[in-house]
Amino acid sequence: MDIVKGYEKEFEQLVEIYEKNTNDKSLRSPGVATIIVSGNKVVGLNSVKGMHIRSKERADGLVMIDVEIEDNTIIPIPVHLCTGFLKKRGEQILKFNYVIGDNVKVKFKSHCILTKVEKLHHYMESDMYIGKNSFVTYEDEHFHDEGGGVFVETITRMKIDEGSFFSSKFYETKTRVGRINVVMDIELLKNAKADLESKIYGRDDDIIDIREVLRLNGENSSGIAKSTVFATDRTKAHVVNEAYGNAPYARGHIECNEIVKGDNVEVSTLPLLKVLNDKAELTHEASVGRINQAQLETLMAKGLTEEEAAEFIVNGLLS
Amino acid sequence: MLELRDIKYSKNGNEIIKGINMKFEEGKVYCIVGNNGVGKSTIGYIIMGLSDYKPTEGKIFLNGEDITDLDVTERAKRGISLLWQEPARFEGITVESYLKLNRNIKKEEIEEALKLVNLEPSRYMRRYVDKKLSGGERKKVELASCILLKPKYVIMDEPDSGIDIMSLDMIVGVINYFKEKGSAVIVITHRKEIALNCGYSYLICAGNVFLEGESKKIVSYYEKTCDNCGHVNYLEEE
Repeated sequence: MDIVKGYEKEFEQLVEIYEKNTNDKSLRSPGVATIIVSGNKVVGLNSVKGMHIRSKERADGLVMIDVEIEDNTIIPIPVHLCTGFLKKRGEQILKFNYVIGDNVKVKFKSHCILTKVEKLHHYMESDMYIGKNSFVTYEDEHFHDEGGGVFVETITRMKIDEGSFFSSKFYETKTRVGRINVVMDIELLKNAKADLESKIYGRDDDIIDIREVLRLNGENSSGIAKSTVFATDRTKAHVVNEAYGNAPYARGHIECNEIVKGDNVEVSTLPLLKVLNDKAELTHEASVGRINQAQLETLMAKGLTEEEAAEFIVNGLLS
Repeated sequence: MLELRDIKYSKNGNEIIKGINMKFEEGKVYCIVGNNGVGKSTIGYIIMGLSDYKPTEGKIFLNGEDITDLDVTERAKRGISLLWQEPARFEGITVESYLKLNRNIKKEEIEEALKLVNLEPSRYMRRYVDKKLSGGERKKVELASCILLKPKYVIMDEPDSGIDIMSLDMIVGVINYFKEKGSAVIVITHRKEIALNCGYSYLICAGNVFLEGESKKIVSYYEKTCDNCGHVNYLEEE
Protein backbone atom coordinates (compact mmCIF):
# COMPACT_ATOMS: atom_id res chain seq x y z
CA MET A 1 0.00 0.00 0.00
CA ASP A 2 1.39 3.43 -0.98
CA ILE A 3 0.36 5.88 1.70
CA VAL A 4 1.07 9.49 0.74
CA LYS A 5 3.55 11.14 3.10
CA GLY A 6 1.98 13.57 5.50
CA TYR A 7 -1.45 11.93 5.16
CA GLU A 8 -0.83 8.86 7.32
CA LYS A 9 -3.18 10.13 10.04
CA GLU A 10 -6.07 10.69 7.64
CA PHE A 11 -5.47 7.27 6.12
CA GLU A 12 -5.57 5.64 9.56
CA GLN A 13 -8.71 7.53 10.57
CA LEU A 14 -10.60 6.51 7.43
CA VAL A 15 -9.55 2.88 7.67
CA GLU A 16 -10.54 2.83 11.34
CA ILE A 17 -14.05 4.24 10.60
CA TYR A 18 -14.45 1.78 7.75
CA GLU A 19 -13.43 -1.19 9.87
CA LYS A 20 -15.77 -0.09 12.67
CA ASN A 21 -18.75 0.19 10.32
CA THR A 22 -18.17 -2.96 8.31
CA ASN A 23 -16.05 -5.35 10.42
CA ASP A 24 -13.90 -5.77 7.30
CA LYS A 25 -10.17 -5.72 8.10
CA SER A 26 -8.88 -6.32 4.57
CA LEU A 27 -8.08 -2.72 3.55
CA ARG A 28 -4.43 -2.85 4.69
CA SER A 29 -3.76 -6.19 3.08
CA PRO A 30 -1.10 -6.03 0.31
CA GLY A 31 -3.11 -8.42 -1.86
CA VAL A 32 -6.10 -6.09 -1.98
CA ALA A 33 -6.36 -3.40 -4.66
CA THR A 34 -7.36 -0.19 -2.90
CA ILE A 35 -7.99 3.46 -3.64
CA ILE A 36 -8.41 5.68 -0.60
CA VAL A 37 -9.40 9.31 -1.03
CA SER A 38 -9.64 11.77 1.82
CA GLY A 39 -11.17 15.10 0.92
CA ASN A 40 -9.50 16.21 -2.26
CA LYS A 41 -6.43 14.03 -1.90
CA VAL A 42 -5.68 10.42 -2.81
CA VAL A 43 -4.02 9.23 0.41
CA GLY A 44 -3.59 5.55 -0.30
CA LEU A 45 -3.20 3.44 -3.42
CA ASN A 46 -2.55 -0.21 -3.98
CA SER A 47 -2.82 -2.03 -7.26
CA VAL A 48 -2.67 -5.66 -8.25
CA LYS A 49 -1.51 -7.53 -11.36
CA GLY A 50 -3.46 -6.59 -14.48
CA MET A 51 -4.86 -3.43 -12.94
CA HIS A 52 -3.55 0.12 -13.37
CA ILE A 53 -4.62 3.07 -11.27
CA ARG A 54 -3.66 6.67 -12.02
CA SER A 55 -4.73 9.67 -10.02
CA LYS A 56 -4.48 13.41 -10.51
CA GLU A 57 -5.50 16.23 -8.18
CA ARG A 58 -6.30 19.53 -9.82
CA ALA A 59 -5.76 22.89 -8.16
CA ASP A 60 -9.50 23.56 -8.18
CA GLY A 61 -10.02 20.52 -5.93
CA LEU A 62 -11.13 17.98 -8.55
CA VAL A 63 -9.71 14.51 -7.99
CA MET A 64 -9.44 12.42 -11.16
CA ILE A 65 -8.86 8.69 -10.96
CA ASP A 66 -8.41 6.37 -13.92
CA VAL A 67 -8.76 2.64 -13.41
CA GLU A 68 -7.79 0.29 -16.18
CA ILE A 69 -8.03 -3.49 -16.09
CA GLU A 70 -6.28 -5.50 -18.77
CA ASP A 71 -8.03 -8.14 -20.89
CA ASN A 72 -8.30 -11.64 -19.36
CA THR A 73 -7.66 -10.40 -15.82
CA ILE A 74 -9.36 -12.10 -12.92
CA ILE A 75 -9.09 -10.23 -9.63
CA PRO A 76 -10.08 -12.71 -6.94
CA ILE A 77 -10.31 -10.26 -4.02
CA PRO A 78 -12.67 -7.27 -4.21
CA VAL A 79 -11.17 -3.92 -5.19
CA HIS A 80 -11.87 -1.33 -2.47
CA LEU A 81 -12.72 2.26 -3.26
CA CYS A 82 -12.87 4.25 -0.09
CA THR A 83 -13.78 7.92 -0.17
CA GLY A 84 -14.01 9.96 2.99
CA PHE A 85 -14.13 13.50 4.27
CA LEU A 86 -12.72 14.32 7.67
CA LYS A 87 -13.18 18.09 7.83
CA LYS A 88 -16.37 19.66 9.16
CA ARG A 89 -17.39 21.49 5.99
CA GLY A 90 -16.50 21.56 2.35
CA GLU A 91 -16.86 20.02 -1.04
CA GLN A 92 -15.46 16.82 -2.48
CA ILE A 93 -15.47 16.40 -6.24
CA LEU A 94 -14.38 13.11 -7.74
CA LYS A 95 -14.18 11.91 -11.32
CA PHE A 96 -13.62 8.23 -11.94
CA ASN A 97 -12.94 6.75 -15.34
CA TYR A 98 -12.94 2.97 -15.62
CA VAL A 99 -11.87 0.99 -18.64
CA ILE A 100 -12.36 -2.71 -18.10
CA GLY A 101 -11.11 -5.09 -20.74
CA ASP A 102 -12.52 -8.26 -22.28
CA ASN A 103 -12.91 -11.47 -20.24
CA VAL A 104 -12.35 -9.68 -16.95
CA LYS A 105 -13.81 -10.74 -13.64
CA VAL A 106 -13.77 -8.13 -10.89
CA LYS A 107 -15.77 -6.98 -7.91
CA PHE A 108 -15.63 -3.39 -6.63
CA LYS A 109 -16.58 -2.47 -3.09
CA SER A 110 -17.07 1.22 -2.66
CA HIS A 111 -17.56 2.92 0.69
CA CYS A 112 -18.33 6.53 1.24
CA ILE A 113 -17.40 7.59 4.76
CA LEU A 114 -18.93 10.97 5.52
CA THR A 115 -19.69 10.53 9.19
CA LYS A 116 -17.76 13.45 10.66
CA VAL A 117 -19.07 16.37 8.65
CA GLU A 118 -21.53 19.16 9.39
CA LYS A 119 -22.04 20.34 5.83
CA LEU A 120 -20.60 18.64 2.77
CA HIS A 121 -21.30 18.42 -0.93
CA HIS A 122 -19.93 15.12 -2.23
CA TYR A 123 -20.04 14.91 -6.01
CA MET A 124 -18.89 11.79 -7.82
CA GLU A 125 -19.06 11.33 -11.55
CA SER A 126 -18.08 7.99 -13.05
CA ASP A 127 -17.75 6.66 -16.56
CA MET A 128 -17.29 2.95 -17.00
CA TYR A 129 -16.72 0.88 -20.09
CA ILE A 130 -16.86 -2.89 -19.71
CA GLY A 131 -15.39 -4.93 -22.56
CA LYS A 132 -16.72 -8.18 -23.97
CA ASN A 133 -17.63 -11.26 -21.92
CA SER A 134 -16.66 -9.70 -18.62
CA PHE A 135 -18.26 -10.04 -15.21
CA VAL A 136 -18.27 -6.94 -13.03
CA THR A 137 -20.04 -6.24 -9.76
CA TYR A 138 -20.08 -2.92 -7.92
CA GLU A 139 -21.31 -2.53 -4.35
CA ASP A 140 -21.59 0.98 -3.00
CA GLU A 141 -22.34 1.58 0.63
CA HIS A 142 -22.65 4.99 2.25
CA PHE A 143 -22.17 6.08 5.83
CA HIS A 144 -23.29 9.66 6.47
CA ASP A 145 -23.37 12.02 9.40
CA GLU A 146 -26.48 11.80 11.59
CA GLY A 147 -26.96 15.58 11.45
CA GLY A 148 -28.23 15.40 7.88
CA GLY A 149 -25.70 17.88 6.50
CA VAL A 150 -24.41 15.63 3.71
CA PHE A 151 -25.45 16.18 0.11
CA VAL A 152 -24.34 13.34 -2.14
CA GLU A 153 -24.60 13.46 -5.90
CA THR A 154 -23.43 10.46 -7.88
CA ILE A 155 -23.72 10.22 -11.62
CA THR A 156 -22.65 7.02 -13.34
CA ARG A 157 -22.62 6.44 -17.09
CA MET A 158 -21.83 2.99 -18.36
CA LYS A 159 -21.47 1.01 -21.53
CA ILE A 160 -21.55 -2.76 -21.26
CA ASP A 161 -20.21 -4.54 -24.28
CA GLU A 162 -21.26 -7.86 -25.80
CA GLY A 163 -21.87 -10.80 -23.51
CA SER A 164 -20.88 -9.00 -20.31
CA PHE A 165 -22.67 -8.90 -17.00
CA PHE A 166 -22.79 -5.99 -14.58
CA SER A 167 -24.48 -5.83 -11.23
CA SER A 168 -24.69 -2.85 -8.93
CA LYS A 169 -25.91 -2.49 -5.37
CA PHE A 170 -26.26 0.96 -3.84
CA TYR A 171 -27.05 0.96 -0.12
CA GLU A 172 -27.63 3.86 2.26
CA THR A 173 -29.53 2.19 5.05
CA LYS A 174 -27.42 2.34 8.19
CA THR A 175 -27.03 6.08 8.72
CA ARG A 176 -28.98 9.21 7.86
CA VAL A 177 -29.07 10.19 4.22
CA GLY A 178 -29.19 13.99 4.37
CA ARG A 179 -29.76 14.65 0.71
CA ILE A 180 -28.92 12.17 -2.03
CA ASN A 181 -29.22 12.27 -5.77
CA VAL A 182 -28.25 9.06 -7.56
CA VAL A 183 -28.23 8.77 -11.34
CA MET A 184 -27.22 5.59 -13.12
CA ASP A 185 -27.46 5.44 -16.89
CA ILE A 186 -26.47 2.20 -18.57
CA GLU A 187 -26.18 1.20 -22.18
CA LEU A 188 -26.22 -2.51 -22.93
CA LEU A 189 -24.93 -4.04 -26.14
CA LYS A 190 -25.62 -7.48 -27.63
CA ASN A 191 -26.24 -10.22 -25.02
CA ALA A 192 -25.17 -7.91 -22.19
CA LYS A 193 -26.94 -8.10 -18.85
CA ALA A 194 -27.32 -5.66 -15.96
CA ASP A 195 -28.86 -5.94 -12.54
CA LEU A 196 -29.21 -2.68 -10.58
CA GLU A 197 -30.45 -2.42 -7.04
CA SER A 198 -30.77 0.62 -4.76
CA LYS A 199 -31.89 0.54 -1.16
CA ILE A 200 -32.24 3.72 0.87
CA TYR A 201 -33.68 4.40 4.32
CA GLY A 202 -34.90 7.97 4.76
CA ARG A 203 -35.18 9.51 8.21
CA ASP A 204 -36.03 12.95 9.57
CA ASP A 205 -36.09 15.47 6.69
CA ASP A 206 -33.93 13.47 4.26
CA ILE A 207 -34.34 14.09 0.53
CA ILE A 208 -33.87 11.15 -1.84
CA ASP A 209 -33.77 11.27 -5.63
CA ILE A 210 -32.99 8.17 -7.67
CA ARG A 211 -32.90 7.84 -11.45
CA GLU A 212 -31.96 4.54 -13.04
CA VAL A 213 -31.90 4.15 -16.82
CA LEU A 214 -31.50 0.98 -18.85
CA ARG A 215 -30.78 1.49 -22.54
CA LEU A 216 -31.18 -1.94 -24.07
CA ASN A 217 -29.48 -1.24 -27.37
CA GLY A 218 -28.13 -4.69 -28.18
CA GLU A 219 -29.98 -7.74 -29.43
CA ASN A 220 -30.92 -10.08 -26.57
CA SER A 221 -29.66 -7.63 -23.95
CA SER A 222 -31.47 -7.62 -20.63
CA GLY A 223 -31.61 -5.57 -17.48
CA ILE A 224 -33.36 -5.17 -14.16
CA ALA A 225 -33.45 -1.92 -12.20
CA LYS A 226 -34.97 -2.17 -8.77
CA SER A 227 -35.26 0.53 -6.11
CA THR A 228 -36.48 0.17 -2.54
CA VAL A 229 -36.98 3.22 -0.36
CA PHE A 230 -38.19 3.19 3.22
CA ALA A 231 -39.38 6.70 3.96
CA THR A 232 -40.07 7.79 7.53
CA ASP A 233 -40.63 11.08 9.39
CA ARG A 234 -40.55 13.98 6.86
CA THR A 235 -38.56 12.23 4.15
CA LYS A 236 -39.10 13.26 0.56
CA ALA A 237 -38.29 10.62 -2.05
CA HIS A 238 -38.67 10.60 -5.80
CA VAL A 239 -37.69 7.59 -7.88
CA VAL A 240 -37.57 7.44 -11.66
CA ASN A 241 -36.86 4.12 -13.38
CA GLU A 242 -36.54 4.12 -17.15
CA ALA A 243 -36.05 1.31 -19.66
CA TYR A 244 -35.68 1.60 -23.40
CA GLY A 245 -36.08 -1.51 -25.54
CA ASN A 246 -34.22 -0.59 -28.69
CA ALA A 247 -33.22 -3.98 -30.07
CA PRO A 248 -34.79 -7.33 -30.90
CA TYR A 249 -35.35 -9.64 -27.92
CA ALA A 250 -34.17 -7.01 -25.47
CA ARG A 251 -35.84 -7.53 -22.10
CA GLY A 252 -36.05 -5.03 -19.29
CA HIS A 253 -37.79 -4.93 -15.95
CA ILE A 254 -37.98 -1.95 -13.63
CA GLU A 255 -39.33 -2.06 -10.13
CA CYS A 256 -39.80 0.50 -7.40
CA ASN A 257 -41.09 -0.12 -3.91
CA GLU A 258 -41.50 2.83 -1.61
CA ILE A 259 -42.66 2.01 1.88
CA VAL A 260 -43.85 4.89 3.99
CA LYS A 261 -44.23 5.32 7.72
CA GLY A 262 -45.83 8.44 9.10
CA ASP A 263 -48.13 11.15 7.80
CA ASN A 264 -45.49 13.67 6.81
CA VAL A 265 -43.53 11.77 4.18
CA GLU A 266 -43.72 12.73 0.53
CA VAL A 267 -42.86 9.99 -1.94
CA SER A 268 -43.41 9.41 -5.61
CA THR A 269 -42.29 7.05 -8.33
CA LEU A 270 -42.29 7.41 -12.07
CA PRO A 271 -41.69 4.43 -14.37
CA LEU A 272 -40.95 5.04 -18.01
CA LEU A 273 -40.88 2.26 -20.58
CA LYS A 274 -40.22 2.95 -24.24
CA VAL A 275 -40.00 0.29 -26.93
CA LEU A 276 -38.49 1.01 -30.33
CA ASN A 277 -38.37 -2.56 -31.52
CA ASP A 278 -41.43 -4.80 -31.69
CA LYS A 279 -39.47 -7.81 -30.44
CA ALA A 280 -38.36 -6.06 -27.26
CA GLU A 281 -40.23 -6.61 -24.01
CA LEU A 282 -40.34 -4.30 -21.02
CA THR A 283 -42.21 -4.66 -17.73
CA HIS A 284 -42.52 -2.67 -14.53
CA GLU A 285 -43.84 -3.03 -11.00
CA ALA A 286 -44.33 -0.20 -8.56
CA SER A 287 -45.81 0.21 -5.14
CA VAL A 288 -46.04 3.16 -2.80
CA GLY A 289 -47.65 2.80 0.59
CA ARG A 290 -47.42 1.50 4.10
CA ILE A 291 -46.16 -1.95 4.96
CA ASN A 292 -48.39 -4.67 3.56
CA GLN A 293 -51.07 -5.58 6.10
CA ALA A 294 -50.99 -9.30 5.25
CA GLN A 295 -47.22 -9.35 5.93
CA LEU A 296 -47.70 -7.51 9.23
CA GLU A 297 -50.48 -9.81 10.40
CA THR A 298 -48.59 -12.92 9.34
CA LEU A 299 -45.83 -11.95 11.77
CA MET A 300 -48.18 -10.64 14.44
CA ALA A 301 -49.92 -14.04 14.36
CA LYS A 302 -46.56 -15.41 15.50
CA GLY A 303 -46.45 -13.14 18.52
CA LEU A 304 -44.60 -10.05 17.20
CA THR A 305 -46.04 -6.63 17.98
CA GLU A 306 -46.89 -4.40 15.01
CA GLU A 307 -43.67 -2.40 15.54
CA GLU A 308 -41.53 -5.54 15.77
CA ALA A 309 -43.19 -6.98 12.67
CA ALA A 310 -42.64 -3.74 10.72
CA GLU A 311 -38.97 -3.63 11.74
CA PHE A 312 -38.49 -7.28 10.73
CA ILE A 313 -40.04 -6.65 7.30
CA VAL A 314 -38.08 -3.45 6.67
CA ASN A 315 -34.79 -5.04 7.76
CA GLY A 316 -35.40 -7.76 5.19
CA LEU A 317 -36.22 -5.26 2.45
CA LEU A 318 -33.13 -3.17 3.15
CA SER A 319 -30.70 -6.02 3.81
CA MET B 1 -60.74 -24.64 25.91
CA LEU B 2 -61.40 -22.18 23.11
CA GLU B 3 -65.03 -21.27 22.76
CA LEU B 4 -66.98 -19.19 20.25
CA ARG B 5 -70.34 -17.99 21.62
CA ASP B 6 -73.01 -16.61 19.29
CA ILE B 7 -70.45 -15.11 16.94
CA LYS B 8 -71.80 -12.90 14.18
CA TYR B 9 -69.73 -11.11 11.56
CA SER B 10 -70.82 -8.70 8.87
CA LYS B 11 -68.94 -7.08 6.04
CA ASN B 12 -70.20 -4.35 3.72
CA GLY B 13 -73.69 -4.83 5.14
CA ASN B 14 -73.74 -8.59 4.50
CA GLU B 15 -74.00 -10.92 7.46
CA ILE B 16 -71.41 -13.58 6.67
CA ILE B 17 -71.38 -15.41 10.02
CA LYS B 18 -74.81 -15.60 11.57
CA GLY B 19 -74.39 -16.58 15.19
CA ILE B 20 -72.19 -19.64 15.52
CA ASN B 21 -71.18 -21.62 18.60
CA MET B 22 -68.08 -23.80 18.63
CA LYS B 23 -65.83 -25.43 21.22
CA PHE B 24 -62.25 -26.64 20.80
CA GLU B 25 -60.33 -28.64 23.41
CA GLU B 26 -56.57 -29.08 23.54
CA GLY B 27 -55.28 -32.44 22.28
CA LYS B 28 -58.14 -32.92 19.81
CA VAL B 29 -58.47 -32.46 16.06
CA TYR B 30 -61.45 -30.58 14.61
CA CYS B 31 -62.55 -30.02 11.09
CA ILE B 32 -64.53 -27.18 9.57
CA VAL B 33 -66.09 -28.28 6.28
CA GLY B 34 -68.44 -26.64 3.83
CA ASN B 35 -68.75 -25.35 0.30
CA ASN B 36 -66.79 -22.40 -1.09
CA GLY B 37 -67.90 -19.08 0.32
CA VAL B 38 -69.78 -20.36 3.38
CA GLY B 39 -67.46 -18.55 5.79
CA LYS B 40 -64.99 -21.26 6.82
CA SER B 41 -61.84 -19.16 6.48
CA THR B 42 -63.68 -16.20 8.02
CA ILE B 43 -64.19 -18.27 11.18
CA GLY B 44 -60.44 -18.98 11.24
CA TYR B 45 -59.60 -15.28 10.85
CA ILE B 46 -62.10 -14.33 13.57
CA ILE B 47 -60.47 -16.79 15.98
CA MET B 48 -57.01 -15.42 15.12
CA GLY B 49 -58.26 -11.84 15.57
CA LEU B 50 -57.21 -10.37 12.23
CA SER B 51 -57.89 -6.65 11.96
CA ASP B 52 -60.72 -6.87 9.42
CA TYR B 53 -62.42 -9.75 11.22
CA LYS B 54 -63.75 -8.39 14.47
CA PRO B 55 -67.05 -10.06 15.34
CA THR B 56 -70.07 -7.76 15.19
CA GLU B 57 -71.68 -9.78 17.99
CA GLY B 58 -70.73 -12.60 20.32
CA LYS B 59 -67.73 -13.50 22.44
CA ILE B 60 -64.61 -15.64 22.20
CA PHE B 61 -63.30 -17.27 25.36
CA LEU B 62 -59.94 -18.91 25.93
CA ASN B 63 -59.85 -20.99 29.10
CA GLY B 64 -62.53 -18.72 30.53
CA GLU B 65 -60.83 -15.46 29.52
CA ASP B 66 -62.76 -13.20 27.18
CA ILE B 67 -60.31 -12.60 24.30
CA THR B 68 -62.82 -11.00 21.91
CA ASP B 69 -61.11 -7.61 22.08
CA LEU B 70 -57.52 -8.86 22.07
CA ASP B 71 -55.45 -8.18 18.97
CA VAL B 72 -53.58 -10.76 16.87
CA THR B 73 -50.33 -10.44 18.82
CA GLU B 74 -51.99 -10.99 22.18
CA ARG B 75 -53.88 -14.01 20.91
CA ALA B 76 -50.67 -15.45 19.44
CA LYS B 77 -48.95 -14.94 22.79
CA ARG B 78 -51.73 -16.97 24.39
CA GLY B 79 -50.97 -19.86 22.04
CA ILE B 80 -53.30 -19.37 19.06
CA SER B 81 -51.68 -19.76 15.67
CA LEU B 82 -52.80 -19.72 12.05
CA LEU B 83 -51.49 -21.61 9.05
CA TRP B 84 -52.44 -19.25 6.22
CA GLN B 85 -54.05 -20.56 3.09
CA GLU B 86 -51.81 -18.31 1.01
CA PRO B 87 -48.94 -17.16 3.22
CA ALA B 88 -47.38 -13.75 2.55
CA ARG B 89 -43.94 -13.46 0.93
CA PHE B 90 -41.02 -11.58 2.47
CA GLU B 91 -38.13 -10.11 0.55
CA GLY B 92 -34.63 -10.37 1.95
CA ILE B 93 -35.62 -12.74 4.75
CA THR B 94 -34.16 -16.23 4.70
CA VAL B 95 -36.14 -19.31 5.63
CA GLU B 96 -33.86 -19.68 8.66
CA SER B 97 -34.46 -16.17 10.00
CA TYR B 98 -38.18 -16.38 9.20
CA LEU B 99 -38.47 -19.54 11.23
CA LYS B 100 -36.29 -18.15 14.00
CA LEU B 101 -38.08 -14.80 14.09
CA ASN B 102 -35.71 -13.13 16.55
CA ARG B 103 -36.41 -15.85 19.11
CA ASN B 104 -33.93 -18.04 20.93
CA ILE B 105 -34.39 -21.18 18.82
CA LYS B 106 -31.59 -23.63 18.16
CA LYS B 107 -30.60 -24.36 14.56
CA GLU B 108 -31.26 -28.05 15.19
CA GLU B 109 -34.90 -27.30 16.08
CA ILE B 110 -35.35 -25.37 12.84
CA GLU B 111 -33.80 -28.21 10.86
CA GLU B 112 -36.08 -30.70 12.59
CA ALA B 113 -39.18 -28.64 11.74
CA LEU B 114 -38.11 -28.44 8.09
CA LYS B 115 -37.60 -32.18 7.95
CA LEU B 116 -41.09 -32.72 9.38
CA VAL B 117 -42.55 -30.86 6.38
CA ASN B 118 -40.34 -32.69 3.87
CA LEU B 119 -37.97 -29.80 3.18
CA GLU B 120 -34.26 -30.61 3.20
CA PRO B 121 -32.66 -28.06 5.58
CA SER B 122 -29.41 -27.74 3.64
CA ARG B 123 -31.38 -26.75 0.52
CA TYR B 124 -33.83 -24.37 2.18
CA MET B 125 -32.25 -22.62 5.18
CA ARG B 126 -30.50 -19.94 3.08
CA ARG B 127 -33.28 -19.45 0.56
CA TYR B 128 -35.50 -16.39 0.80
CA VAL B 129 -39.17 -16.45 1.75
CA ASP B 130 -39.93 -14.44 -1.39
CA LYS B 131 -41.59 -14.95 -4.76
CA LYS B 132 -38.94 -17.44 -5.81
CA LEU B 133 -40.36 -20.14 -3.52
CA SER B 134 -43.15 -22.10 -5.18
CA GLY B 135 -46.61 -22.01 -3.59
CA GLY B 136 -46.11 -25.49 -2.18
CA GLU B 137 -42.65 -24.69 -0.77
CA ARG B 138 -43.95 -21.50 0.82
CA LYS B 139 -46.83 -23.43 2.40
CA LYS B 140 -44.42 -26.00 3.82
CA VAL B 141 -42.21 -23.26 5.29
CA GLU B 142 -45.34 -21.82 6.96
CA LEU B 143 -46.18 -25.24 8.32
CA ALA B 144 -42.64 -25.48 9.77
CA SER B 145 -43.13 -22.03 11.30
CA CYS B 146 -46.35 -23.20 12.98
CA ILE B 147 -44.54 -26.25 14.36
CA LEU B 148 -41.84 -24.05 15.92
CA LEU B 149 -44.45 -21.80 17.54
CA LYS B 150 -45.62 -24.78 19.61
CA PRO B 151 -49.22 -23.51 19.60
CA LYS B 152 -51.96 -24.61 21.95
CA TYR B 153 -54.55 -23.95 19.26
CA VAL B 154 -53.58 -24.12 15.61
CA ILE B 155 -55.95 -23.14 12.81
CA MET B 156 -54.93 -24.76 9.53
CA ASP B 157 -56.69 -23.04 6.64
CA GLU B 158 -56.74 -25.40 3.65
CA PRO B 159 -53.38 -26.97 4.61
CA ASP B 160 -53.30 -29.03 1.42
CA SER B 161 -53.96 -26.21 -1.09
CA GLY B 162 -51.00 -25.61 -3.37
CA ILE B 163 -49.23 -28.69 -2.05
CA ASP B 164 -48.59 -31.71 -4.27
CA ILE B 165 -50.72 -34.79 -3.69
CA MET B 166 -47.63 -36.73 -2.55
CA SER B 167 -47.44 -34.46 0.49
CA LEU B 168 -50.91 -35.30 1.82
CA ASP B 169 -49.43 -37.93 4.15
CA MET B 170 -47.00 -35.31 5.47
CA ILE B 171 -49.89 -32.95 6.27
CA VAL B 172 -51.80 -35.68 8.07
CA GLY B 173 -48.54 -36.47 9.89
CA VAL B 174 -48.15 -32.84 11.01
CA ILE B 175 -51.79 -32.71 12.20
CA ASN B 176 -51.12 -35.84 14.27
CA TYR B 177 -47.85 -34.32 15.52
CA PHE B 178 -49.75 -31.31 16.86
CA LYS B 179 -52.32 -33.60 18.47
CA GLU B 180 -49.59 -35.66 20.16
CA LYS B 181 -48.04 -32.47 21.49
CA GLY B 182 -51.38 -31.59 23.08
CA SER B 183 -52.50 -28.86 20.66
CA ALA B 184 -56.06 -28.37 19.51
CA VAL B 185 -56.00 -28.55 15.71
CA ILE B 186 -58.73 -26.78 13.74
CA VAL B 187 -58.53 -27.85 10.12
CA ILE B 188 -60.43 -26.00 7.42
CA THR B 189 -60.58 -28.23 4.39
CA HIS B 190 -62.46 -29.61 1.41
CA ARG B 191 -60.40 -32.76 1.26
CA LYS B 192 -62.04 -35.95 2.49
CA GLU B 193 -58.73 -37.68 3.38
CA ILE B 194 -57.85 -34.85 5.76
CA ALA B 195 -61.37 -34.38 7.17
CA LEU B 196 -61.63 -38.06 8.02
CA ASN B 197 -58.43 -37.78 10.05
CA CYS B 198 -60.19 -35.31 12.37
CA GLY B 199 -62.24 -36.43 15.35
CA TYR B 200 -65.02 -33.85 15.33
CA SER B 201 -66.40 -31.75 12.51
CA TYR B 202 -68.48 -28.65 12.01
CA LEU B 203 -70.37 -28.37 8.75
CA ILE B 204 -70.84 -24.74 7.86
CA CYS B 205 -73.59 -23.58 5.54
CA ALA B 206 -74.50 -19.99 4.72
CA GLY B 207 -72.71 -18.65 7.79
CA ASN B 208 -74.27 -21.13 10.26
CA VAL B 209 -73.11 -24.32 11.91
CA PHE B 210 -75.53 -26.56 10.02
CA LEU B 211 -74.39 -29.84 11.52
CA GLU B 212 -71.74 -31.01 13.96
CA GLY B 213 -70.50 -34.31 15.29
CA GLU B 214 -68.20 -37.20 14.58
CA SER B 215 -66.20 -36.47 11.43
CA LYS B 216 -67.17 -39.68 9.57
CA LYS B 217 -70.87 -38.84 9.80
CA ILE B 218 -70.44 -35.17 8.93
CA VAL B 219 -68.19 -35.89 5.94
CA SER B 220 -70.61 -38.53 4.70
CA TYR B 221 -73.55 -36.14 5.01
CA TYR B 222 -71.58 -33.37 3.30
CA GLU B 223 -70.66 -35.61 0.38
CA LYS B 224 -74.23 -36.79 -0.16
CA THR B 225 -76.09 -33.54 0.42
CA CYS B 226 -74.04 -30.38 -0.01
CA ASP B 227 -73.00 -30.64 -3.66
CA ASN B 228 -76.52 -29.81 -4.87
CA CYS B 229 -77.45 -27.54 -2.00
CA GLY B 230 -79.38 -24.41 -3.01
CA HIS B 231 -78.19 -22.21 -0.14
CA VAL B 232 -76.78 -18.86 -1.15
CA ASN B 233 -73.33 -18.19 0.28
CA TYR B 234 -71.32 -15.00 0.33
CA LEU B 235 -67.88 -15.07 -1.17
CA GLU B 236 -65.33 -14.83 1.61
CA GLU B 237 -62.92 -12.71 -0.34
CA GLU B 238 -65.47 -9.99 -1.15
